[in-house]
Amino acid sequence: MNEKHSVSLVNDVTGEALFPVTPKKRKKPINKEAIAGTIFASGPLLGFIIFGVIPLCLAFAMAFLKMKGFSFKGAKLADPIFDNFKTVVQDNKFWESIVNTLIFGISTLICLVLSLAIAYLLSKEIKGRKTFRMIYFIPYVCSAVAVVLMWGYIFNTEYGILNMFLKKLNPEWQLRWTEDATDFRILVIFISVWGGMGYSIVLFTAALTNVNRSTVEAATIDGAGPFRVFWNVVFPAISPTTFFLLVTGLIGALQSFATSNILDKNGGPDSSGITIVFYLYNKIFDEMNMGVASASAWILSLLILIITIFNFVGSKKWVSYDQ
Amino acid sequence: MISNNKNSNIEEIIPTNEVDNLFEDTHDIAKRSKRRSIIGKVVIYAILVLYAMFIIFPFSIVIITSIKTWIESRNQIFTIFPKDGYTLEGYKEVLKYDIFETLELPIMIQGFLNTLVYVIPPTFMGLFVSTLSAYAFAKLRFKASKFMYAVLLATMMIPGTITIAPQYLVYDTLRLTKNFPAFPLIIPGMFGSAACVFFMRQFISGIPDSVVEAAKIDGVGYFGIFIKIIIPLSVPALIAQGLLGFIGGYNDYFGPLIYLKDAEKFNLQLALQLLEGAYNKQRPSYVMAATVVALAPTLIIYFIAQEFFIEGIAASGIKG
Repeated sequence: MNEKHSVSLVNDVTGEALFPVTPKKRKKPINKEAIAGTIFASGPLLGFIIFGVIPLCLAFAMAFLKMKGFSFKGAKLADPIFDNFKTVVQDNKFWESIVNTLIFGISTLICLVLSLAIAYLLSKEIKGRKTFRMIYFIPYVCSAVAVVLMWGYIFNTEYGILNMFLKKLNPEWQLRWTEDATDFRILVIFISVWGGMGYSIVLFTAALTNVNRSTVEAATIDGAGPFRVFWNVVFPAISPTTFFLLVTGLIGALQSFATSNILDKNGGPDSSGITIVFYLYNKIFDEMNMGVASASAWILSLLILIITIFNFVGSKKWVSYDQ
Repeated sequence: MISNNKNSNIEEIIPTNEVDNLFEDTHDIAKRSKRRSIIGKVVIYAILVLYAMFIIFPFSIVIITSIKTWIESRNQIFTIFPKDGYTLEGYKEVLKYDIFETLELPIMIQGFLNTLVYVIPPTFMGLFVSTLSAYAFAKLRFKASKFMYAVLLATMMIPGTITIAPQYLVYDTLRLTKNFPAFPLIIPGMFGSAACVFFMRQFISGIPDSVVEAAKIDGVGYFGIFIKIIIPLSVPALIAQGLLGFIGGYNDYFGPLIYLKDAEKFNLQLALQLLEGAYNKQRPSYVMAATVVALAPTLIIYFIAQEFFIEGIAASGIKG
């Protein structure tokens, strides 16, 4: 913008009336401001170059190298060049890790739907809204380790209070997450939903308070039931927030690691807890196979990119930025 | 959760019934809709309270368990008032636990102090650098502004997973993993973060230009304006970002798991996990006591400053 204006000032005399201050400033002060601005702004970018760009370039190189341990010494170009990728793609465990990750990704969707419902109820004329919201946000400030230990105790298969309760209702319902893959997955999803809802509830309530009240009232007077009001008036108005949460939530879910790793360091029954990042972690620190680890990281990034693009394309159908 | 669904169904059923009574007296309808809204209110409160209880439930279980004897804590039947009475043995044990007496301090205390060392410098320094950058993007005019901001936002899109392997390799090659294992936890954060710049820029843009211009006329330099005007006016946003940054670092698990190999360097989260392994599911009340100890600082900070957290989060998402 600024550049355009200054160009038009030079070329076109009439532009001067719009920005009378600029011509005076043009010679010296602007230079100072530009220098200060560039230096001040560059801190985070410098950090990104050192701790982001260099590793990224290395990650690219490493994906095509055969390496011995944590060293470039004796590293050879992979032969054929895509050998690391081939190893990853031919590894059944990698595909299992993708399936596991996608299953855990369900928690993002559950989390979105439930927190939208709760936030919608919170946006009604409710006493104690702030207290409710304060309670709902608590899990966000709790560490993953503490949260998993808490629920791990409550669902302990020998004496956990909820598991004993489920067992009493019906012995079949007990969560045998230490030995059964499905139960392990249910527990991971359960913990993720419990831990993730606070953040989305806060964002949804913020968005819902910005929804135009008069439109909602107009629709109600026109005879629309509460469900239709929500679906046709409220939901479109908050669709950008929903979209933001969906995109960031899925990107996070595709890189999930902590919950299943803390529940079981070895990856859960039948490796049901081995997510893509868990797979990569094992490749680096158990097998010290940096080439294959980097190749799998690139495949994960590609997957994230595809899902995000898919999201953006799909969003044109349901996200509206009108309001 | 299942009962929640049933409750919300009631709300949907009632209006359909009313369609049959469309030609009723208006007076009657008014009465009915009033009753309907009361029922609706009750249902809403019921759901909200149930969900609040669902959030609080695990904490109450953990706290009660943490003050039981370890034998009682393995009882199949959960009791709120244990036979053996309450005890603080779990806390005492956990706060003096020291693996094979090799550490100078008990692991939980060592872990807590380590966490502060790892988290406080990058939180403050990172906040300063990010805010300075945000100020430049919001208030100063320079050629590369747009380009640099776009690049910064683009960096947020890069999945962090991809740099794990090369970063570890670089630190290992530089022998940092042995000599200064906390380096990757402390130093990169000091350069600020794109998300923080994004948030602070939004806030600083809200400060009127006239305030900045007035200072300029008084002869205050660009850095002076930042220190004397921008920072004092951004205190609420700075507190929000600082707290979120601190909590994020305090709760970090993945970074410490990769880089911290010696127990004496563990942060609190790793110490907590180590304790859980040490008691190997045999003494759950001790593990729960350790969990309470680990959670307490964040929860206390949260309860004191909850508005900053919630407003900070809400503000960061609105434009997203």
